Amino acid sequence: MTKPSRLASTVYGLVGLSLFIGIWQLVGAYELAGLTWPRFTTVISYLAEPSRWGLFSRALQATLWAMGVGYIVGGIAGFSLAVLSAVFQPLRPMTDTTSAVIHAIPAIAIAPLLIILLGSSVAPAALSALNVFFIMYVSTVAGLSATTPAHRDVFRVLGSSRFQQLCRLELPNALSSIVTGLRLAAPASMIGAIIGEWFGAPRGVGLLIVSAMQNFQIPLLWSAIVLATLTSAAAYGLFGLLERVIHSRFS
Amino acid sequence: MPSTTASIRLDRISKSFSLGRKTIAAVNDVDLVIGTGEFVSFIGPSGCGKSTILRMVAALEDPTAGHVTIGDMPPSDLARRHRLGVAFQDHALLPWLTVRKNIELPFRIANRPVDDRYVDHLLDLVGLSDFDRARPKQLSGGMRQRASIARALVLQPDVLLLDEPFGALDQVTRRHLNIELQRIWSESKITTVLITHSVDEALFLSDRVVVLSGRPGRIVKVVPVPFGRPRTPTVMRDAVFHQLSDDLTESLEGYVGTAEA
Repeated sequence: MTKPSRLASTVYGLVGLSLFIGIWQLVGAYELAGLTWPRFTTVISYLAEPSRWGLFSRALQATLWAMGVGYIVGGIAGFSLAVLSAVFQPLRPMTDTTSAVIHAIPAIAIAPLLIILLGSSVAPAALSALNVFFIMYVSTVAGLSATTPAHRDVFRVLGSSRFQQLCRLELPNALSSIVTGLRLAAPASMIGAIIGEWFGAPRGVGLLIVSAMQNFQIPLLWSAIVLATLTSAAAYGLFGLLERVIHSRFS
Repeated sequence: MPSTTASIRLDRISKSFSLGRKTIAAVNDVDLVIGTGEFVSFIGPSGCGKSTILRMVAALEDPTAGHVTIGDMPPSDLARRHRLGVAFQDHALLPWLTVRKNIELPFRIANRPVDDRYVDHLLDLVGLSDFDRARPKQLSGGMRQRASIARALVLQPDVLLLDEPFGALDQVTRRHLNIELQRIWSESKITTVLITHSVDEALFLSDRVVVLSGRPGRIVKVVPVPFGRPRTPTVMRDAVFHQLSDDLTESLEGYVGTAEA
């Protein structure tokens, strides 16, 4: 199968998006899904109303802050643990199990615990960090261990130390995988932040979603969801660009 | 820099691998001294353990019995002192580095300052001066192997170990690189071990050709190559060359059937 050209994939993408929006609009217009499904145009005009921008930007700022903190803290933690387990191989089963257990705990279950432990203003960032941590740990470990036997042989014959092999072979080799992890971690950090906010953060997109739902403010609810989706997609796309640059350079 | 090239002594080495509950003998009682500045090729049917012999000289495997010594040291000591040069069938260049940076890599691993003039000289010697800033994926297969050989030579190692470096190339490129390798080698006269399955390649490049049996690899015969140096491609049209080539091919064919037995 040949890969579709860039133009073709852009066109297909736009057709898919238009279909999605068209069906959304129709379902809303004919109330096929009841009163809780507004038209696409209703949601967009709700979002576009300047008097609401303050509300949205305050919420978005809080969520982005939690995402950013979670992304950095979780990313550094996941990356460091992966490098540590690569240097001290005996640690590997332990770090693998630990991160798998952390990942296995449903965010929704650990959220109340984190709120009690850390307070409701820190919980979104903490949940976001947990989500990012696992993705970065796995992608770094996978990247570090993906060196070819021929490369490792060359380094051994040249008399390389373990540290040199890490810095000159394994880390540059892992970069592609790490950047892919960074891209996947972007939406994951958003999910973590929103779930954290869900349980009573002082502000944020998650809070907006909960309170809109409880007060039956349907257009606000949908607007918050659209906002979250756009933010998440933008972060994903941004890291997609970075990924493309790194992949062409490092593989 | 003074040449410190050394002799290689294979003192009755054997190697076996355990595969599940079975033990498979790969190399059996190989005994050979490769002189200082000598170029020796190992040929043999596939799976005869010829690469295993090279890996033992490169300190990548330990013999099950016997010893390898280079000069008066075990190979692992030489590796630690950055005095081994190696090129494999897989060029194993780092894809994120330019050709020049790849050739400089051994200096960085040895924590020595990069000798730019020598790197320039080697780039020129292997015909890659115009490609020093290219990345491996922008090069042809033959060019990558040349870069890989330049990397093996850059620290002026005591021994040069070549494991089918041209094995994945087409015949024309391979012949061309054989001629170049002969020219490059004549400049340094480093003690060299070449693993190959090409009889003509072995004859054209070597001082002696070692024929191995099918698994487990034993030395069947050692054939001295009578041609002087430097050698030009005309050697390959010599009647003696053809005679030796036929003899070697014949002694190999005797073992093709038994290799998998």
